[in-house]
Amino acid sequence: MKCRLVLLLVGLLLQQALLADQTLTAIPGRVIAPDFELVDTEGAMHRLSDYRGKTVIINFWTTWCPPCREEIPSMNRAWAELGDENVVMLGINMGEDEDTIFVFTADYPADFPLLLDRDGAVIAHWPVKGLPTTYVVAPDGTLAYRAIGGREWDEPAFMEQIRALAK
Amino acid sequence: MPGKPGLVLVLLIALQPAMAPGGEVTHSASERNGLRGWNFTAGDIRIELIQRLPDQTRALFMKHGFSREVIEQLALSCMFQTIIRNTGKSGSAAPVSIDLTRWRLHHAGETGPILLKEPLLAAWSDSDASPEAKLVVRWGMFPTQQDYLPGDYNWGLTAYGIAPGEQFDLEVSWQQGDQSYHDTIRDIVCAPDVDKLL
Repeated sequence: MKCRLVLLLVGLLLQQALLADQTLTAIPGRVIAPDFELVDTEGAMHRLSDYRGKTVIINFWTTWCPPCREEIPSMNRAWAELGDENVVMLGINMGEDEDTIFVFTADYPADFPLLLDRDGAVIAHWPVKGLPTTYVVAPDGTLAYRAIGGREWDEPAFMEQIRALAK
Repeated sequence: MPGKPGLVLVLLIALQPAMAPGGEVTHSASERNGLRGWNFTAGDIRIELIQRLPDQTRALFMKHGFSREVIEQLALSCMFQTIIRNTGKSGSAAPVSIDLTRWRLHHAGETGPILLKEPLLAAWSDSDASPEAKLVVRWGMFPTQQDYLPGDYNWGLTAYGIAPGEQFDLEVSWQQGDQSYHDTIRDIVCAPDVDKLL
């Protein structure tokens, strides 16, 4: 009995330690996310306000940012699971052109739309200080969560936070 | 003397991170390219500095519309790839605030500020750096002020404005809650330029 209790405690402590670096930070006040209108690498137009009613994950990135590259595979895995669950995932590239991104995605394919913020006009209206930074916009259009720095996006704890918003 | 389960518990408690900052620096060297790293930890903050060869900096900035003079200025400014992280536990640790204007460089008997992106950007004309090039510096160099909640980290370049191969001490400071901290990372060495590698 004692042994089981200790094992349970060990499990809880380990889980806590593993989750320490893997959190989506809730944004107090829940202000409306700044709207934008950007073309993706396929030429399709995306307007954030058109996604009202859905949860939108918005990832700001560049090809020359190592942690941005590292999180793309886990974003693909998360997108594969969440894509059918009223969730939209958008990568907003800051300052680069289609050709640069085309070459990059041969090595780091992204399954979700990659939008082009060529002159940094959109990112300037978002509270972003470094790359990568990701925001999760709730279906009502408010900023719900943020993550500064790369994450493993298919972590169950993240997926639960995002699914809870999408319901 | 505790039994086995008790011993496991004691060990687990002993292995929990200490609450009070007590700065510790570890060193690394990449097996792939020999570049050296300084990894500072204290309380809930971790600061990692990894040497960056002047040629790596040239390669990054040459693609983005800078003049040759500005590329050399940046390449020879002792840049480090820098990662700052709040390692505190979600829900219990306070945000860590960094203000790079307070960091101090000790080099050749003198003390001064580190090189920040704002004065660089302000000094360049459009022929020195195109608007696209300025975006690369704005987002590639470390933000001068930033708050890190537990789990947050940022990655970017910091620059120290001294010649390749030079050695310096870096006084780092940060704020957590209402407490200010500072410590010194000693004997950091700027990466050598390519002529020293031949």
